[in-house]
Amino acid sequence: MLMSTAERHHSLCGRLILPPPPPPPPPSSISSIFHRRRQAAASAEIEHFSVPNWSPESLAFAKEFKSIDQDMVKSDCLQVLRVVKMPQVKIVARNFMDMVASLPAMKLDKLYENSFICEAILRSLPPLAKKYVLQLLYIDGPVTAKWLEEWVLADGVSKHRVAVDRLIQLRVLTETVERKKEATYLFNPTFQRNLQKHIVHGGVLPREPMPSNIIARLPSLEDLDAYAVRQWELFLLHLISSSEAEKSTNISSSMMKVFQRGLLSQKDDKEPPKLTESGFQFLLMDTNAQLWYIVREYINNCEDLGVDTADLISFLLELSFHITGKAYNLNTLSDIQRSIIKDLADLGLVKLQQGRKESWFIPTKLATNLSISLADTSSRKQGFVVVETNFRMYAYSSSKLHCEILRLFARVEYQLPNLIVGAITKESLYKAFQNGITAEQIISFLQQNAHPRVAERTPSVPENVTDQIRLWEADLNRVEMTPAHLYDEFPSRDVFEAACDFAREYGGLLWENSKKMRLVVKAEIFTQMKEFLRRQKQ
Amino acid sequence: MTPVSAKLYTDDVSLLMVLIDTNPFFWNSVKSSLPISKFLTHVLAFLNAIVLLNQLNQVVVIATGYNSCDYIFDSSTSEGQTQRAEYLLQKLEEFVNKDESLCREDSVDGPGFSLLSGSLSMALCYIQRVFRSGPLHPHPRILCLHGSPDGPGQYVAIMNSIFSAQRSMVPIDSCVIGAQHSAFLQQASYITGGVYLKPQMLDGLFQYLSTVFATDLHSRGFLQLPKPAGVDFRASCFCHKNTIDMGYICSVCLSIFCKHQKKCSTCGSVFGQAPVQDSSTPDRKRKNPMDA
Repeated sequence: MLMSTAERHHSLCGRLILPPPPPPPPPSSISSIFHRRRQAAASAEIEHFSVPNWSPESLAFAKEFKSIDQDMVKSDCLQVLRVVKMPQVKIVARNFMDMVASLPAMKLDKLYENSFICEAILRSLPPLAKKYVLQLLYIDGPVTAKWLEEWVLADGVSKHRVAVDRLIQLRVLTETVERKKEATYLFNPTFQRNLQKHIVHGGVLPREPMPSNIIARLPSLEDLDAYAVRQWELFLLHLISSSEAEKSTNISSSMMKVFQRGLLSQKDDKEPPKLTESGFQFLLMDTNAQLWYIVREYINNCEDLGVDTADLISFLLELSFHITGKAYNLNTLSDIQRSIIKDLADLGLVKLQQGRKESWFIPTKLATNLSISLADTSSRKQGFVVVETNFRMYAYSSSKLHCEILRLFARVEYQLPNLIVGAITKESLYKAFQNGITAEQIISFLQQNAHPRVAERTPSVPENVTDQIRLWEADLNRVEMTPAHLYDEFPSRDVFEAACDFAREYGGLLWENSKKMRLVVKAEIFTQMKEFLRRQKQ
Repeated sequence: MTPVSAKLYTDDVSLLMVLIDTNPFFWNSVKSSLPISKFLTHVLAFLNAIVLLNQLNQVVVIATGYNSCDYIFDSSTSEGQTQRAEYLLQKLEEFVNKDESLCREDSVDGPGFSLLSGSLSMALCYIQRVFRSGPLHPHPRILCLHGSPDGPGQYVAIMNSIFSAQRSMVPIDSCVIGAQHSAFLQQASYITGGVYLKPQMLDGLFQYLSTVFATDLHSRGFLQLPKPAGVDFRASCFCHKNTIDMGYICSVCLSIFCKHQKKCSTCGSVFGQAPVQDSSTPDRKRKNPMDA
């Protein structure tokens, strides 16, 4: 019985670096709608927990432990669990429609009574799904799944699945499976009626703009755009660091706290808050994605203030159908909407103006783009960054925010009135990687914001630069993790050496120390190792 | 000319140029089966649907008349934003009246062809302007809603438009609402990679339009759209504008003639003496010029 004490297992490490969570299995066509809805709700969560790799094999070896020593197993298992459970990786979800899809069915059906919502939802769909909606628009009664699939080429099957799943998630189509295993889809009647009405009568405006004789000074479209950008950047600066912003926004500090949650972390009150990983990721996103992130947080928060989520969503979507630069009377809004619009003005979505008697709001581009950005189309924005093959970076921008963003991963050397000059260096990138920014994010930021002159070229960012950024990132990931077991307190040198030889034979020896008689073997050969030691014992 | 690069086809923002046949002779002949008012109802619903699909989608309507053609609707202008139908119908009426005033009594003979070559060129001009507006332009395509028979006199002009569309990668979709197939449009769709369709039941025109022609260029890669059973590749001769199966062709510029000529009327090349028998002439039959 000597060996049982000698055989002490330390789980050196459950893998420290976790692979990304496996993609959810594609929903089978038979799975019930309820299941899909739950999935939608899950994917709408901002935080994606990375699933620990608690594979069946590791469970099997836990069972093995049980037969050896009950108590030890318990503590070891806990330890394993503790190691395996990694800090959650936060991914900022960009799709607002996931949130809409996660609304309860009742609320969703109620939302569809508003024709603007139907319109916005339709526009947010993938192209193929849009086509299906149009195709089914004047078909009453259910259609078979086969009827739709007949149109699809072999290349498009996955796209077809995505499109149909999206439609089902959003309850535009309801799927029923008959006994003959033939799935049929039924169009949501409210949605269908609203779109039919829209197609016959053409678009209607949510509310009439005010006649121009009442309004004295309406800003020009350029002024309005500039106002929106200024307001938004001010908000972002304020969000990142309240000290940097020269002018404070009117957003209440409690609201600001809500927005900062997840983006900033503060250890104690003395230290200034630091940007978290997702905070950095947030800054590198394009404006529309950022806007939706903030709007989502806003919506989540509003429930606490007693505003119905569905009402707020419908108001925001309705707002996106107003015409940019036209004035709309504030009196046409309800009390709740009026208080919402004040917050939106601080974000730069609308501009508030006051006349002698009336006051009105003017939607900016940010507001009218809300429903555009729902679709996954590429952002249509002019870039400003030129990266040269010698790693120098020229950013044609006067924005303080741009400068701050570039500073995240590059060394800013000097700043001219309309130009920021910097260099991408190893040190600056290491700093970025430490902050949790990935090479892919940096590259996609540079590509998305490429100056029109270089954007015409392919690739818009020189290949040697993108390759080097990836290589430098790979430099940091040189440590490889292997699950392993440590053996020590061998009764004699002979047993130790025999064990070493045995492990070497199986190709599982990772490390040995003959002086202290310790060895580390791979977790795969644990069973063989145990067999071997038991035989030695006899 | 800036050909569209493939990398821009990542999203589904489209610019749809719709060419509507307003030839009064044609609409008079189909009065009973498809009155123009019914036709317009379908088309208006279709236009609304296209604009509905994406906020950035743009629709331009060009009327193809008997004597002239003109832009009658553009959704990107401020007039096109609201009350689309009223605006379009009003402009259409103005156009038809103007087109009628240009008509001279003696010029009308036979069925009457509409000026397809003119409206195709106008559509292509508009598209070229969009191409030059910047890198972020919508993906253009042309949809011909055509009913009149082919005018052989327009053969050269139409073929030139087709090749121009092919070069700038603009597909020409054709929806033939007349009784006859249109050889011109068959070739146009075939060469430019568009869809050619002659609906069987004109009562359900909207369904045809929304199922087939509303498909954006991005989605066309994944879908099976109707393909024509056969394409009529016959050409018209340059001298008498007759549609011919067999004829003479200039070896220098590929102009087509129905009778032997001493000199090419297009490029001026002098031909040698033709043999007496027709059968031994270097004839080209049913060959499409695009292969040449």
